[in-house]
Amino acid sequence: MRGKSNRIGRRDVLKLMAVGGATLVTLRYLQPARATAPTPQGKHQWAMVIDLSKCTGCGYCTLACRAHNDVPPNISWNEVSLVGELDGHLIYLPRPCMHCAKAPCVDVCPVGASYYRADGIVMMDYDRCIGCRYCMIACPYGARAFNWEAFRGPNPAVPTWGQPEVERRPRGVVEKCSFCYQRIDRGLALGLTPGIDADATPACVVACPTKARLFGDLNDPDSPVSKALREQPTYRLREDLGTQPRVYYIPPQPEKMEGGS
Amino acid sequence: MKRFLRLVPFDPWKIWLVALGLMIVLGLAGGVLVFWKGLIITNLSDWVPWGLWITLDLSSIALAAGAFSLCAGVHLFGLKRYQPLARTALFIGLIGYTMALCALLLDIGRPQNFWHPLVYWNPHSTLWEVTMCVCLYLLVLILENMPTLASWSFLRERFPKLSNLMKQAHHLAPFLAVVGLLLSSLHQSSLGAVYGVLKARPIWFKPELSVLFMLSAIIGGISLTVLASMIAARLSRQAKVNDVLLERTAHFVGYLLIAYFYFRAWDLLATTYTYAPGRSEGLQILTKGTLSFNFWFGEMIMGILLPMIILLYQPARQNPFWRMVALFLAAAGVVAYRWDTNLVGLMVVVSYLPGPIQIAYTTYHPAPVEWITTLGILAYGLLAFSLGVKYLRVVDHRWVTEEAKSLHVEAEEVALSR
Repeated sequence: MRGKSNRIGRRDVLKLMAVGGATLVTLRYLQPARATAPTPQGKHQWAMVIDLSKCTGCGYCTLACRAHNDVPPNISWNEVSLVGELDGHLIYLPRPCMHCAKAPCVDVCPVGASYYRADGIVMMDYDRCIGCRYCMIACPYGARAFNWEAFRGPNPAVPTWGQPEVERRPRGVVEKCSFCYQRIDRGLALGLTPGIDADATPACVVACPTKARLFGDLNDPDSPVSKALREQPTYRLREDLGTQPRVYYIPPQPEKMEGGS
Repeated sequence: MKRFLRLVPFDPWKIWLVALGLMIVLGLAGGVLVFWKGLIITNLSDWVPWGLWITLDLSSIALAAGAFSLCAGVHLFGLKRYQPLARTALFIGLIGYTMALCALLLDIGRPQNFWHPLVYWNPHSTLWEVTMCVCLYLLVLILENMPTLASWSFLRERFPKLSNLMKQAHHLAPFLAVVGLLLSSLHQSSLGAVYGVLKARPIWFKPELSVLFMLSAIIGGISLTVLASMIAARLSRQAKVNDVLLERTAHFVGYLLIAYFYFRAWDLLATTYTYAPGRSEGLQILTKGTLSFNFWFGEMIMGILLPMIILLYQPARQNPFWRMVALFLAAAGVVAYRWDTNLVGLMVVVSYLPGPIQIAYTTYHPAPVEWITTLGILAYGLLAFSLGVKYLRVVDHRWVTEEAKSLHVEAEEVALSR
């Protein structure tokens, strides 16, 4: 007759499950917590305003972005599309990442590689990303691109449009616009004001020859974006989805545009 | 001719093994190519980032659902007679989940980071929940399959102690059935929710997807288990089945198909009312567009209605050939449903530009490397099942669990000691 000690009983199963559960939870808390749920409100809340009357579709923003963020030629973090015609003027719409306050990509990422910074920027942790591409499917704005192959060799946008400020992403991760967080962070450290001082402002805003883009802190009533939002009617893309983008557009007004096209 | 056949060692078993082996080698070569060159060699794109491999994941997990459903039946609903069938289902389940993991490893851009969801949690993500449940359930399946694996003669003869210890795991069966039911209910439905929670994709954005994925998985899983048992019994001397058991289970699948048809029909009808950008275009693709053949024949007529009729009409059900046809169609219908569901949401792109919502369309045809790796993974599944039938008596309805015996003995002991 076999002794009781030799049997695996219900108590053992429960113990095993308790140990397993504790291990899993420990694993979770070994990692630094990161915001994947409601946006934490930091001191600064960055936002962008794009005046569609001023955008001429030149694409300088896309090129400056490629250089400063070392983006390969087949990917655009900031895509400019021709959206229509108004009184003989062609209307272009640049689309960076919307840095949504309720971002679908952050919700769906299985590893928390997409997360909210306290200043509202939706960040990508390229070391954590596993390349499942769920965020691309979830993003309503097509703001994300996958690195199907490694980006090797020189970047054609460098040095004409600027110098890379961040590390090139490896093959197999999803990448997107980061509001040039590196310029904001370095600028703040140097005592500059993002949106006012060029060195602390996203590359696309600085590169725009018609000053169609404004950048700044929503918490600062005197920032260029706060002023623009107060003074002019604006809208955001696909507001019906409830994503609450941080990129605002000033609708095109023919009287503000120069010449015909 | 007869003399020729005698000269050539014509052994169907060996030919089968060689054929599967070749497919696995080809698949492995394809896998190496994918890891080496990257996903650029597939036909996946930023517009259609999920394709054939995701269908393989979803299908192998869905068709592995026989394991949890039959185990729940045996251990929780008291259908003890179905124990041998549950044993087959458990083995198919183990194969299915390992197949899914292989396909996932190919599909993700950074396979070396596959373990990240276990360590870096995002509890808001349905995909995170699916990954956790799949990994935990794989552990459950390994434990549940221990007694089966212990019956491998090599293990029994060379490592009798290990084999005995593994057999002990059958005491856990009822607990594992509970845990398995919990984990499976979670991730089988969440796989539907992976699609169902995306507001950006109107054809997916609905709560029904979870329910439909769960229900179709149970149907596909049980169908495949019964079908595999019937085929094994016809091709292998090692497989012995009790046809009454199989026929009853097939009958049950017939009833499940009614429930599934009811939900699918309402899901479809509800989608036809009023124009909704993106959703209506998706429906068009399913009912009239490129996926219409798959949808009407693969999913609806051949996948639900025909098997339903065959399995509920007694003379047809009792005919082994027609029963097998029906079970095959039901399982294939589930695969077609997964393929169509994944693709239809990706083929319709809803614009983000201001003004009336514009719709753009994308296309996708799997690349050769996607096909050969998929076939390789399928061959692995078939090989594992074939070896299981031959060496582990995976399909053997004479096999009796020791559980019943030991419970009996224990009861006597208690009676005596009191």
